[in-house]
Amino acid sequence: MLKVKNLTKTFSSPSGDVNALKAINLNIETGEFASIIGKSGSGKSTLLSMLGALDIPSSGNIEVDGVDIAKLSAHKQTAYRARKIGFIFQQYNLIPNLTALENVMLALEFGGVPKRKRKSRAQQLLNEVDIDEEQQLRKPSRLSGGQQQRVAIARALANKPSIILADEPTGNLDSETGKKIFDLLHKLTRSEKTTIIAVTHDMDIAGRTDRTFQLKDGKII
Amino acid sequence: MNVVTRGIKNALRSPLRSGAIILMLAISIGLILSMLVARSSVEAKINEVKSSAGTNITITPAGVSGFAGGGDPLTGDQVATITSTAHIASVTSTLSDQLGTSDTSLISSLELGSFGQRMMRFEDSNSSSTGSTNSTESSSHPAPTPRTSVTGTTNPNAVSTDGSSLNITSGETIDGKSIDLVALVGSDLATKNSLTVGSTFTAYGKTITVKGIFTTGNKFQDSGLIMPLASLQTLTDQTGNVTTVVAKIDSSDNVDATVTALKSSLGDKADIVSAAKQAEENVSSLSSISSLALAGVIGSTVAGAAIILLAMIMIVRERRREIGVIKAIGGTNQKVISQFITEAMTLTLFGAIIGLALGVVVSGPMTTSLVSSQTSSTTQNANVVRQGGPGEFMRGNFNRLSTNLSQITSSLTPQTFSAAVGITFLIAIIGSAIPAWFIARIRPAEVLRSE
Repeated sequence: MLKVKNLTKTFSSPSGDVNALKAINLNIETGEFASIIGKSGSGKSTLLSMLGALDIPSSGNIEVDGVDIAKLSAHKQTAYRARKIGFIFQQYNLIPNLTALENVMLALEFGGVPKRKRKSRAQQLLNEVDIDEEQQLRKPSRLSGGQQQRVAIARALANKPSIILADEPTGNLDSETGKKIFDLLHKLTRSEKTTIIAVTHDMDIAGRTDRTFQLKDGKII
Repeated sequence: MNVVTRGIKNALRSPLRSGAIILMLAISIGLILSMLVARSSVEAKINEVKSSAGTNITITPAGVSGFAGGGDPLTGDQVATITSTAHIASVTSTLSDQLGTSDTSLISSLELGSFGQRMMRFEDSNSSSTGSTNSTESSSHPAPTPRTSVTGTTNPNAVSTDGSSLNITSGETIDGKSIDLVALVGSDLATKNSLTVGSTFTAYGKTITVKGIFTTGNKFQDSGLIMPLASLQTLTDQTGNVTTVVAKIDSSDNVDATVTALKSSLGDKADIVSAAKQAEENVSSLSSISSLALAGVIGSTVAGAAIILLAMIMIVRERRREIGVIKAIGGTNQKVISQFITEAMTLTLFGAIIGLALGVVVSGPMTTSLVSSQTSSTTQNANVVRQGGPGEFMRGNFNRLSTNLSQITSSLTPQTFSAAVGITFLIAIIGSAIPAWFIARIRPAEVLRSE
């Protein structure tokens, strides 16, 4: 269960304060697949970074399973990101000099999984997203965009997070691959009971999620 | 796969760039090592010269150098003053004299030569004191003869030119404090006059017994006699008088103070030369090499630190996004920083291995070339020609010092090596600390800026 109350974020810039988010309120049930749509500059990415404890809100609360993550110390926030959140990025953002397998194992290391269990868990996750054993030993540069995004999904799922935050997960993929990735995410919400919040401007994808929030000028409309 | 292996892997991520960084580091580390070697070798040499010069000071009558000059010998009272001065551990007194044909039955083993003739040209009252001495002029006067030098000393070993004990080839040494009419005869003089141990000869109208034959390798010395000081003083009616006093100071720290004290107590009656001071002047050029080498060490350390620092800053800037991602998926600052420190350490380690090997190879030639270019002038300066007689044996010491100045062997000691390794670590730490600060400031939210 994710509860956001009166969330605001103000950036100071040379030309004055910019209110990126203005009193956002939303509730997302566990296991829901929600999408956030809006034009660029509407505050989508800012909201996502608040939810993922990548940035600290100016005011308001973000409660995840009863814990206000906005009030956590920097160190606890890092631990929260490692265990409770999975990130999927538009640019995939895999570590370039690590293999697919090592990328997933890295997330497991940060999540505190014992060393001897990491490899088998990573292999299992990659198999679930259809990355075969040969591909698991490749570096990201030798994988296609779709494959890289699937590795990124496996990485995001590594520590069985409560919430997966996806920033334009299909933005860099052709529509067919994008659809496959979307279906994969959709399947996961069902099987793993994981909440997924995806930022997108693909109305087609947004239309097939459980709920859609539209942001405009830092407000939900 | 942990922080350390990731760091090492990252260091080798771009072989060409890492290679270039490692090479630059290797050069600066090599330079650090060879400069450290040069410095320690030179320092060792300076200390050796200073300690071998010892704590001796030489006191001669004012205005007298060798057998030339004029003035009065030091008196017994003055010697007593010297002996009682604080910090003087022991004194060796010497009285020098020369024997002419009228004084002795001995024939000098030295040829007069043109130098001797020139020095003797004032002997004849008719000789012209102006102008040159040419053969026709000198042949019109009675031919001068070379003299035999006599050294009366309290310590016959002081005559030795190399600082060690006098080399007695036959017989035994004499007691410098006795009043016996005995002598040690130089090997050349002994050969010339067919003297052996137990033979006698006449000098100052007395019969003197040969106790031993000595050799020093110095032709002037080997053509002379050594007698107990008191015997010579009596024979020459100069009771108490000496022409040289060599005083040994108890500690090198007290040399300057003792010289000052002696100068005030003896006034203008004596010239005082401190061997340590002389040696210090001789090694001044070595000191400048030492400071040059130190500057080299500091310079290469700064260069090495700058290379790794700039390389790491460049790497961190380039991998901002990657650092952001690691932080976003739960990597702590500490983990990311450790990973980059490992990377910097790996580069430094490779640089150090190559650089230290390089340093071992070049430190020898580098030290030699630094020293030889700097000391050639010193060697010439130190070879100031002094005349024989009083203070003569000092010359031997100085010659020995100056020839050795250019013979510095570069020695790579474990201490020098560990100093170089320590400096290398310092470089790696500096090279990591500032990039670490940059890393800590990278916000994970930056990864969401997909542009």
